[in-house]
Amino acid sequence: MATPVIMPRQGQSVESCIIGKWHKQKGDQVNVGDMLFTYETDKATFDEEATVAGTLLEIFFEEGDDVECLLNVCVIGEEGEDVSAFRPEGAADEAPAEAAKEEAPQAAAAPAAVAAPALSNTAKENVFISPRAKNHAEKLGVDVRFAEGSGPNGRIIERDVEALAQSGVAFTKAAAAAAAGSTDQFEGTGIGGRVTTGDLKKPVAQAVSEAMAAEEGVAYTDTPLTNIRKVISKSMHNSLSTTAQLTLNTSFDATEIMAYRKKLKNSAEKLGLGNITLNDIVLYAVSRTLLNGHEDLNAHMLDDKMRRFNHVNLGVAVDTPRGLMVPTIFCSELKSLAEISAETKDLAGACQGGTISPDLLTGGSFTVTNLGSFGIESFTPVLNAPQTGILGVDTIVQRAKEVDGEIKYYPAMGLSLTFDHRAVDGAPAAKFLKDLKNNLENFSVLLAK
Amino acid sequence: MPKSQFMDPDVLRQPGFVEFEPIPVNQYNKTIKEESKNFSKEDFMRIYRDMAIIREFEQMLLDIKTKSEYQGIAYNNPGPAHLSLGQEASAVGQAYLLDKNDYIFGSHRSHGEILAKGLSCIHKLDDKELLTDMETFFDGATYKVVEGKEKDKGNVKDLAIDFLLYGALAEIFARETGFNKGLGGSMHAFFTPFGIYPNNAIVGGSATIAMGASMFKRINGKPGIVVSNVGDASMGRGPVWEALNMGSMDQITQLWEEGHNKGLPIIFNFFNNLYGMGGQTVGETMAYNILARVGAGVSPTQLHAERVDGYNPLAVIDAMRRKIDILNNQGGPVLMDTLTYRMTGHSPSDASTYRTKEEVDKWAEHDVLVNFEKKLVEAKVAKSDDFAAMREDIRERMMKIVKLAIDDEVSPRMDLGKNPNIIADLMFSNQKIAKMEDRTPDVLIPKEENPRVQKIAKKERFGFDKNGKPVSKNKVYQLRDGLFEAIIDKFYEDPTLVAYGEDNRDWGGAYAVYQGLTESLPYHRFFNSPISESAIAGSAVGYAMSGGRVIAEIMYCDFIGCCGDEIFNQLAKWQSMSAGVLKMPVIIRVSVGSKYGAQHSQDWTSMCAHVPGLKVVFPVTPYDAKGIMNSALNGTDPVIVFESQRIYDVGEQFHEGGVPEGYYEVEIGEPDIKKEGKDVTILTIGATLYRALDAAKELEEKYGISAEVIDARTIVPFNYEKVLESVKKTGRIVLASDACTRGSALNTIAQNITEMAFDYLDAPPVVVGAQNWITPCYELDAEFFPQKEWIIDAIHEKILPLPGHVAKTNFTETEQIRKNKLGV
Repeated sequence: MATPVIMPRQGQSVESCIIGKWHKQKGDQVNVGDMLFTYETDKATFDEEATVAGTLLEIFFEEGDDVECLLNVCVIGEEGEDVSAFRPEGAADEAPAEAAKEEAPQAAAAPAAVAAPALSNTAKENVFISPRAKNHAEKLGVDVRFAEGSGPNGRIIERDVEALAQSGVAFTKAAAAAAAGSTDQFEGTGIGGRVTTGDLKKPVAQAVSEAMAAEEGVAYTDTPLTNIRKVISKSMHNSLSTTAQLTLNTSFDATEIMAYRKKLKNSAEKLGLGNITLNDIVLYAVSRTLLNGHEDLNAHMLDDKMRRFNHVNLGVAVDTPRGLMVPTIFCSELKSLAEISAETKDLAGACQGGTISPDLLTGGSFTVTNLGSFGIESFTPVLNAPQTGILGVDTIVQRAKEVDGEIKYYPAMGLSLTFDHRAVDGAPAAKFLKDLKNNLENFSVLLAK
Repeated sequence: MPKSQFMDPDVLRQPGFVEFEPIPVNQYNKTIKEESKNFSKEDFMRIYRDMAIIREFEQMLLDIKTKSEYQGIAYNNPGPAHLSLGQEASAVGQAYLLDKNDYIFGSHRSHGEILAKGLSCIHKLDDKELLTDMETFFDGATYKVVEGKEKDKGNVKDLAIDFLLYGALAEIFARETGFNKGLGGSMHAFFTPFGIYPNNAIVGGSATIAMGASMFKRINGKPGIVVSNVGDASMGRGPVWEALNMGSMDQITQLWEEGHNKGLPIIFNFFNNLYGMGGQTVGETMAYNILARVGAGVSPTQLHAERVDGYNPLAVIDAMRRKIDILNNQGGPVLMDTLTYRMTGHSPSDASTYRTKEEVDKWAEHDVLVNFEKKLVEAKVAKSDDFAAMREDIRERMMKIVKLAIDDEVSPRMDLGKNPNIIADLMFSNQKIAKMEDRTPDVLIPKEENPRVQKIAKKERFGFDKNGKPVSKNKVYQLRDGLFEAIIDKFYEDPTLVAYGEDNRDWGGAYAVYQGLTESLPYHRFFNSPISESAIAGSAVGYAMSGGRVIAEIMYCDFIGCCGDEIFNQLAKWQSMSAGVLKMPVIIRVSVGSKYGAQHSQDWTSMCAHVPGLKVVFPVTPYDAKGIMNSALNGTDPVIVFESQRIYDVGEQFHEGGVPEGYYEVEIGEPDIKKEGKDVTILTIGATLYRALDAAKELEEKYGISAEVIDARTIVPFNYEKVLESVKKTGRIVLASDACTRGSALNTIAQNITEMAFDYLDAPPVVVGAQNWITPCYELDAEFFPQKEWIIDAIHEKILPLPGHVAKTNFTETEQIRKNKLGV
């Protein structure tokens, strides 16, 4: 019996994924464990492996197609079996190449503010559209499959494309259905700026932006941005343009934590503590410092309020081949140093492997980023808005200080704290650094608390 | 209807009889001996030679058509050949006295006539004139082929005969070195330097044209006479009767001014070969019995009609001598019924099933060459051997000419591969000639004293006053004033300009455009024509062909149906069929009616636009009317000027500063943006412009749609650039005019826009034309002609649905299919 393969749902907030690459073609033999296809959210890439053996009877979506979660993507079974019952609505017909041309949105970089669907809530495959409207859509980079034709016989005409562009690129199917009839406007944060059901909860006041027409030239190479890069770009720019951030730099004497780490490294292998890093120690210290009088830095600065978190959900910046990712260690203040260390490693591995659950990439209340391994002595981290603080961890340099009338050298580790001055003033921020420095220089005392 | 002529019932109601003079039939009976004092031996021998040349020429073509060879020279001629074997004496007899100032116009069977006329001219012209004519014609292209190949080197007349035969044959064989570069062919060959004007493939087509040429001679005081050569069967055609009547109209002798008041110098000659194709004119298809009888029915002069024995060249010469005298003294027209017989069929494919062998054999016994030779031998003018030698000489000459004419090297065809525009460039002459002749125009008063000119001087030349209020109809400079101003200016500039049509003079034209022109112009430049649209349009063609400029008026555009041949086959074609030899500065003014029902309210711009060779314009503002009329009048091409009776009184609403008093031209072919806009383009032809502007206003006010309104002004030629630019901007276009939708020129424009602006279109171009019905009574106008509402409905239904709009008319696809299925 034929078995459909669905587009998995990678986390509750994910409504659709884009198929990256097919590793099997229609008609291929498939064994259990064979890689069928890769798919990606705007944050991560995943592999889908076959769970049954047989022939790949039909492929419903092409590379680059944006497929809603839980829809059938392909069917595996015995040669000759009928697959028509598994064909999802909105999938390409027998010749999927046609549909592929119409594919994915040339998304607007900025989140689009969108009027609730006067738009089509489904992506149509056979659209009648005037040549002018089609050209206009290409220029604006909107996906005409989401336009509602208001011309004669439902033809999509210029004004429909205009409306689509004005109101945003598109809604996801679920969002469009949910928002039908609403007159609110929404900020699209989904793939290519699409409005997701999540976005429906936070209407924004005003429509934003129009897509930039990509210019082409010969003296350079244009590479379309990956979704993840678009998200980074968007959030970084958003951070700098909507917050009042500034950075304080300091350093602390790392003698004690280095000694402590050395001790752990030499400890019994069975304890499994040998891999704890200086960064883990800093994370630990941060998790224990924030809730002791520095709640304003464990917070989100929202338009008209501060949201202070009861737990320290610590974002950890991870460099991956696809770009920067920030997984979250939830409730870090409740976790031991070993737990923090282990979780950090797991999260980083998942990010680098592209298998991180999208649910773990959101929800941070404060972020730590470490460029020390690159020899950076101080830098200006960019806030992960709406978080109010981010700590940069720098490299260790030898410094001299006078101790009892003698010049002594010690290893000094730099700390760079960027904070949102809208939420926190300079003195309380400096105080946090001072407390953190104190905790790190007296780490054994902290551990005892 | 001149007031000077009193229609007195006391006289008109008196009893009496219409009496006729006897009409001569074959009265010539002189012997060679009697004629010896009129003709030298050379004259007699030349008459024989010319007939023999025609005989050999036609026999050669017959051989080529039927055997694909002549004297062992193989050739295939796919073109037509309507031969005049047997008719040689009538042609030579007619041409004998004519010189280059005398014009002949012919039919489809006129090879003999053009050769006879050419040979006669060659005899009369001196060597210098002949050389000039030959060397300058098409820069010597024809001449170069025969130059140096004449038998008697240095003999110009001998060379000229080669030139004539070669030019005609190369034309028949469609060679670029032919008299009309191969664009005329067998049925249209002509050579104006010898006074040989176009032959015509339309039966009787030459009658009205020749009559117009004779008008040109009479009105402009030119020497020479005009001969209209048509066949006996053409007496079945209305235009021939119209030509006979209009050419004989009373006013020429009774009302035209001194110096122009002699009857027209024209011979309406009918080469009566007794058959029209296979139809036997006497006993079967006609009623006249003897064709000359018709003359008695046309005018009290009986047109000096006479039947002449066309089988005797001397009888024809005798008749021509007497008829030319009449034309020169009391004036014409003259009708000649020249009896003749064609020995072969209508064309080489004609099996002559309609006549017996006995009949053909009997006429062969009367063979003109055999009998004329016999008479000359009997009269001891020459010996039989002399004629045999002459015929051999002619055969040799003919072989030489044929070899030249079929040689692709020396006689190439037009190379459209190398020069693709060669014919296109001949469709219009596109010249600007202020006056066709340089002399003082014949006028009655200085222009400033003309009452209409003085009246117009007091008018407001812009349609709105300083406060933007419309100027009253009585004070405003109207569209009809724009036309008048252009026309009267040209009358005071070009001495050849004439204007005529129905009710032009005292009435001032049915719609008062010409009001006041009567005061300035003598009758012979501005007159009422009979209600004869064929003769009006056809004579205009002949008048222009002879070197003049004409404004002919067809009162209602519907009446183009009465002169379809003259406008579509003659006016449109002679510039290009002559390969640019002829110019055609003819304005045909037609008005598009309203209020007058199905036969007086049609917009036939599309019909005119369909036929290549006509410029078609439709100005609808006073500024455009004057500017376009100026352009048309200053040009050299035929222009059909459409005018709308709905808006003769409209004031200028667009051109800032109003209509200029001085001369200016609006270039023919350039549409004009009357109102700028950005959302939708409305292109109109004709008076629909004003309804489109109303629609634009409503679109703006009710729906916030900004419409750009473009007035086509011209249908042919048409520059798309401005329209495409507009459509690229708006992405949408409605095209509207009062022409019936099916086959409307708007469909062509819409198609071209679709092709050229496809990627910019937000909807297909939509044509809003009149219904494909008869035009109903005026009260139902709004159901038939495009209205403001139709334009808005069409936009709503087919282009850009308008929120809240409720369509009153049905522009749905279902309706479109249904109507077309029914042919309505």
